[in-house]
Amino acid sequence: MFSIKKWYKILYHKLFHLDDRLLLILAGSVTGICSGLAAVALRLSLESVIEWLHPYRHYGWAFILPAIGAMLSSLYLEKIAREGAGHGVPEVIYSVSRYGGLLRFRSSFSRLISSFLTIGSGGSAGPEAPVVMSGSSIGSNIAKFLSLNDRQRITLVGCGTAGAIASIFNAPIAGLVFAIEVILGEWKFVNIIPIAIAAVAGAEVSQAIIPEQVVFNHQPFQVGFSDILPSLGLAMATAIISVIFTKILRLSGKLAKITPFPLWVRAFIGGSIVGLIAIFMPVVLGEGYHSIQAMISETFSMGLFLAFAAVFAKIFSTAMTLGWGGSGGIFAPCLVIGSLTGIVFHRALFALFPTIGFASEGAYALLGMTGLVSGVMQAPLTGIFLIVEITGGYETILPLIVVSSISSTMSHYIEPASFYFKELIERGQFLRPGTDARILSDLNINELIETDYVKLSENMVFRNFIDILKTSEQHFFPVVEDETGEYKGIIQISSIRRYALNPGMYDMIFLNQIMDTKVLTASQENDLQEVLDIMDINNMAIIPVVENDQFIGMISKTRILDLYRRELMMQTSIH
Amino acid sequence: MNYKLLHIFRNTPFGRETFLQSLSFCKTISASPYVYIPKSDKFLMYFNNDTVQVDLDHSYLTSPDTAKKHAEILFAEMGIKPLFYEPKNFTASSLPDISTNFDYLCCPRSVSDISSKIGLGHIGPRVRRIIKHATFPVLITSPVFKPWKSITVLFGGSENAVKALKLGLKIAMSSGLPLEIYTLLEKQNETHYKSLIEKEELTEPVNQLSQKWHYYKKNDFDTMLYDIPHDSLIVLGAYGHGIMKDILLGSKMEHIQSTLTNNLLIPGPNSSVTLL
Repeated sequence: MFSIKKWYKILYHKLFHLDDRLLLILAGSVTGICSGLAAVALRLSLESVIEWLHPYRHYGWAFILPAIGAMLSSLYLEKIAREGAGHGVPEVIYSVSRYGGLLRFRSSFSRLISSFLTIGSGGSAGPEAPVVMSGSSIGSNIAKFLSLNDRQRITLVGCGTAGAIASIFNAPIAGLVFAIEVILGEWKFVNIIPIAIAAVAGAEVSQAIIPEQVVFNHQPFQVGFSDILPSLGLAMATAIISVIFTKILRLSGKLAKITPFPLWVRAFIGGSIVGLIAIFMPVVLGEGYHSIQAMISETFSMGLFLAFAAVFAKIFSTAMTLGWGGSGGIFAPCLVIGSLTGIVFHRALFALFPTIGFASEGAYALLGMTGLVSGVMQAPLTGIFLIVEITGGYETILPLIVVSSISSTMSHYIEPASFYFKELIERGQFLRPGTDARILSDLNINELIETDYVKLSENMVFRNFIDILKTSEQHFFPVVEDETGEYKGIIQISSIRRYALNPGMYDMIFLNQIMDTKVLTASQENDLQEVLDIMDINNMAIIPVVENDQFIGMISKTRILDLYRRELMMQTSIH
Repeated sequence: MNYKLLHIFRNTPFGRETFLQSLSFCKTISASPYVYIPKSDKFLMYFNNDTVQVDLDHSYLTSPDTAKKHAEILFAEMGIKPLFYEPKNFTASSLPDISTNFDYLCCPRSVSDISSKIGLGHIGPRVRRIIKHATFPVLITSPVFKPWKSITVLFGGSENAVKALKLGLKIAMSSGLPLEIYTLLEKQNETHYKSLIEKEELTEPVNQLSQKWHYYKKNDFDTMLYDIPHDSLIVLGAYGHGIMKDILLGSKMEHIQSTLTNNLLIPGPNSSVTLL
């Protein structure tokens, strides 16, 4: 270990000192490989357990399997890994926005295990978000090992995400786009290259270990001009379904929280309900890749009404799995719900206009998937590239773009925050680079406090103050108690003119008689946004900072502007 | 200077001892204790290059309805204004982020209510990680409330030992209590250590504030530990070289923990200490 660190230090100072791009590319490749391995491990173990459990699925008692899996998953997360349930993507975005991508090491494996238990037993969830969490954590911890700075660490978090998505779907471009569009939120030259390389590394790892791995077999689709108009309709349908899906997911989580049961009991209840639904509609089980393949290859046997019911059954099952304590992501459920929506839409279209030659059902399943992914995540590029890459359906690219753009726009119109961002926005913690909120949150309040202020005693005679004034350039003077140093008020030059112009009063008044005690104060615990709000509402250019009754210093708008500009330049520089 | 100490409150008899120690420390050096009453059994601390999740045992969540009242009573007993810390940010709904913008943090020896562990002087792994990454010194309290009347710096000559010495001087300045320095001579002689502090421009404050500098031969480790006053605050750097490294990381740790029940104040490798 020591020699690795030693060599790293030599390399860092000799080779990477002037330009860190090479370092990021190397570290990014390692991150991509590691996160790719994590994704492959999850995928292989899921396949094994699903295959192992398959013969038991037709027994009546099998409905309990998802319940047991969800229960074990929640117990593992709560008691062993000591992490909260859920898919973890907001946690990664939060860490990138607020703490330079710092993530716990335990997150690199905890979600893999918990989602294996949930999905393997039949819970309705996807393995993608857990591998994103795992990959991001691997990137963050590699950055920690290499003692990289925040910017470099964020890039490696992106590398981990891209490597994981690229590996699980065998789709490097989708990995790159997802990492930048959803996780980092900024397209920067310095990020793109390492992330692209990490995505390729992740996909290559996946291909090397599972050479026969193709998520969905490619089918040739004939998409013509006559499909553009129906695409608009499908886009609207997927947008509406996206919003319904997002709302039911959130509602389910809130509902679960108000129940008096512990988490593992909730997870058990949620899993049982999923198991019961699966007796009548097995399509809701697990990640659902087999059903998607059947829909793309047009061998899906459900009729129009049953498929329509399956859309809502899958939405409900996913909500019961994830909202009630199971672990996993919404990516795969989005693909299942989207392809079902596409199938339903195509069959309805065919029933209404039987003579028009629309594209095949499989093509509409693809369009539906894009629409759902774009609508739920409000990430149109991820939707387009993911579907194109995993299905090889480049002939559908034009309607894919139409569906993706309209679905994400419409769902944004109805529900301004995507599923991943909603919680963060509600907590006021969705801070994208270069935005006002992010810059303000990145400024350290202690950096803004100017401390070189002369403090005056409340018992000082006004004449003595005039003497100090003659040699001082301060416009504001904090007044404190003699013994305890407790802050009492402030003297503003502008408000004491009438006394200053009347020398007869110099020996007659004390500072505690003329100080302003009503000036609002800030604390070091305040966020800068809160301080600015106080200043704006009260039309203040400068505000005293008082902590535990002690005067600390002053914060002025001039100082804030200086540091704001510096931070803005740093965050928006092209490198 | 208005120093701030963060205390994670535990509403149990053991917790009361730790809290009294925090209050006493703050009163002695004129710092403000901020009390965090946990509402969930874990929290995160984001440091510069690491994030530490502190998993609390259930004793920290004992009788939440009386916790604040109990803390206020102890504040009042010590004549200190009650200050409570409320986390503003959350990584997940049940995972608050605790600010690292404090000057000191008070930790029990182990974030656990298992009294046998505490009695043996076991320093828990989470406490070690906090020490390793914290940008502020960590006060590790004695198992029971024990006011200290002097300051002892264990000075081994490492970079972190210099931090410890500066911290000891700083505490001596703000408390007005006597300071003594203890050095175990391993490979160097007394002149080496003196030249070290001269290089750090600490000779003057050391001469002014320290009452005595004790030197012990390498084999006199146990004698040195016995000679340290039982009612002294021990300031030592973590992750130093030689014996000091062993004290906190190696086999010597359990020995010193079970030998000395004093309060420890430890600046970690990432903490910065200035005299002013």
